Amino acid sequence: MIESILKRVRTGKVTVGLTAGDLPAPFRGMPVLGEAFRVGNVAETCAKACATDAIDPEKKTMDLGRCVFCGLCEEACGGEGIRFSQDPRLPWGKREHLVLGGPVPGDATAPPDLRSLLGRSLHLREVSAGGCNGCDLEAQALGNPIFDLQRFGIDFVASPRHADGLLVTGPVSKNMREALVKTYDAIAEPRIVIAIGACAASGGIFRGSYAVENGVGGVLPVDLFIPGCPPHPLTLLHGILGFLGKNPVAAGRSSRRDP
Amino acid sequence: MRCVHTFDLGASAPLAEEPFRAFLRETTTGGDRLLALFAEEPSSGRFLLHAVAGGSAPGRFVRAVMEVSPRSYRTFTDVCPGTHWFEREIYDLFGLAPQGHPESNPLRFHEGWPKKLFPLRSAGAPAPDARRGYRFLLVRGEGIHEVAVGPVHAGIIEPGHFRFSCAGETIQNLEIRLGYQHKGIESLFPGDPGMGKILLSESISGDTAVGHSTACARLLEAITGKPADPSAERWRAAALEIERVSNHCGDLGGLSTDIGYLFGAAHFGRLRGAALNLLLKITGNRFGRGLNRVGGIGLRVPGIAPEDLMEELSRLRAEVENVGTTLLDAPSVVARMEGTGRLLPHTAKTLQFVGMAARASGRDIDARRDFPSPAYVESPPAKVLLDTGDVMARARVRFLEMRASFDWLSGVLAGATPTGAIAAETIAPVATRRLVVSVEEGWRGEIVHAAIVDAVGRIARYKVADPSFRNWPGLSFAVQKNVISDFPLCNKSFNLSYSGADL
Repeated sequence: MIESILKRVRTGKVTVGLTAGDLPAPFRGMPVLGEAFRVGNVAETCAKACATDAIDPEKKTMDLGRCVFCGLCEEACGGEGIRFSQDPRLPWGKREHLVLGGPVPGDATAPPDLRSLLGRSLHLREVSAGGCNGCDLEAQALGNPIFDLQRFGIDFVASPRHADGLLVTGPVSKNMREALVKTYDAIAEPRIVIAIGACAASGGIFRGSYAVENGVGGVLPVDLFIPGCPPHPLTLLHGILGFLGKNPVAAGRSSRRDP
Repeated sequence: MRCVHTFDLGASAPLAEEPFRAFLRETTTGGDRLLALFAEEPSSGRFLLHAVAGGSAPGRFVRAVMEVSPRSYRTFTDVCPGTHWFEREIYDLFGLAPQGHPESNPLRFHEGWPKKLFPLRSAGAPAPDARRGYRFLLVRGEGIHEVAVGPVHAGIIEPGHFRFSCAGETIQNLEIRLGYQHKGIESLFPGDPGMGKILLSESISGDTAVGHSTACARLLEAITGKPADPSAERWRAAALEIERVSNHCGDLGGLSTDIGYLFGAAHFGRLRGAALNLLLKITGNRFGRGLNRVGGIGLRVPGIAPEDLMEELSRLRAEVENVGTTLLDAPSVVARMEGTGRLLPHTAKTLQFVGMAARASGRDIDARRDFPSPAYVESPPAKVLLDTGDVMARARVRFLEMRASFDWLSGVLAGATPTGAIAAETIAPVATRRLVVSVEEGWRGEIVHAAIVDAVGRIARYKVADPSFRNWPGLSFAVQKNVISDFPLCNKSFNLSYSGADL
């Protein structure tokens, strides 16, 4: 007993702030599109290296809803076209806000009446629908002492009856579709749906398989998408708090381009 | 390489049924163990069963193949109970029915799928019989009642359905129905042995991204003839051990949660995060994604110098040691874990369970010793073997394995160069039909990847056997005669992947 009390005192505070800044060097966070990506044929080189068709070499866009952050495009172009920064703050919002070169995510903040209804409390029911469990583990990590989601009044609950909304991971396997829809139906209105990770946005690496629905969007009305494979817990916090209009540090996406 | 083996399929003819049966029987009674059993349709309407085994000596792989009729074959579960789930899976994917199999419920497909859909069976093959519906085992007796749990569980966890038949609080039978996470991964592998397949393997089970992608990368390297550089292999093994530490920490935290020991839950939750952050510093991702490339490791890997990593590991080790001994010595913890959820050594051996859970039930198997990758060849991590088979044993095995990993890591990192290289030399691969098998000891147990490669070097059939797929039936045995309120604890002590089992 005395051992555990001492350990507690010695450990001190471990929770991280939201403005923790960049993560360690090899981290692949917010991609920065270089000048060479927009002019010339570097976009094509990047698109060829991409296994999930996230890059459109014609429109010169990069869809983070499909990106699995493997870094192959960066390796293929030597960082000239696409370079992954260490910033965990990724764009969030409706599906179109995840496309680099599209509208900025600020437009997708929850409407004021919903925000005032939720006040300082949001309770979510998590449903894993055919993912690999990576996103589930990061959602779970939000509850540990490091990220401590509860300090923002957000928590995960066991029953959909206690929830204000759903947090969904995975491409929605056909075998989970019914259970997902039933869980959604069991939540009282108004309810929100948050879809996290590349699979939930587009099917991700499983896109096109006979056994998946290629994302949550085709099954439920999604209010908030957060990209990543899986999204870092700080990416999740950034997206959820941004959606609730509570994020102290907005991601100035236009400023993330190379000069 | 002793963790990968290539069999030439060019010359050999399939075995008759009896020798094939004898091959499988040998994996139950002899020194070799079953690694995988899977089907293939090499040409429309012609079906082969491939069995791969090995492990009686380091790097020993053996295999057998048999042709079966397009409809059915006689089950092998009577001579090799370890084929139980493999045969159910083969039926679901190919429509080949194992006659006399003790359980013919579908493993992958639920109501709502077309009854004649067998996704890996070609359209040209003779039409199979319709798949039968799912029937739960009915336990009869006075006062027997059923409790249904899932697919959506109370916590943040993957979906699966558990059906308990209880007498009072005591579990008489637990039936596990999975398939909710089925996403058809094996159907996405055929084709070019390129980088896309490694990305796919990272998503077989997200908590084992390093284990699966390493097994996959070595397999692709054997196909394309580009073996990774020894320093890249060292980093792969280092990442694999850190993945093991992160998951073992997470599980000890989860076990603490399930018995209401909040000290352990908070600290191990935090230490798991610390281990994941080390993976991030090496690979750029908390789960080690981006570590592997065909022929080596990623350009950004390793993102940390070996000395710095060793320093961080020694700090982590001290904390794990401190929190772990506090946890495992606490009388209230021991009282809840000892004798709970016992998996008997006899059961573990007969049903050929694998990995850490099997080592807690006296089964002395470890792919790092039996199929050593280059970094393990000289000295694999120290052996950890217990035989009580209860939740306490599975918790202790985790703790002791972390100690062994920390010991081993300091040795491998001491000689590591800061960078790995992408393979420079390529060996022209043989131009015949081949079976390539790759084995790696993930944190749960042995991961087996097998591929049938055609004469032009393309993948024709890819088989993944996650340790979860092997061990799920073990949970049903472990909870028998326990009280239902101990189920979460028993379940967590195995912590099997739903995604890895459902593929």
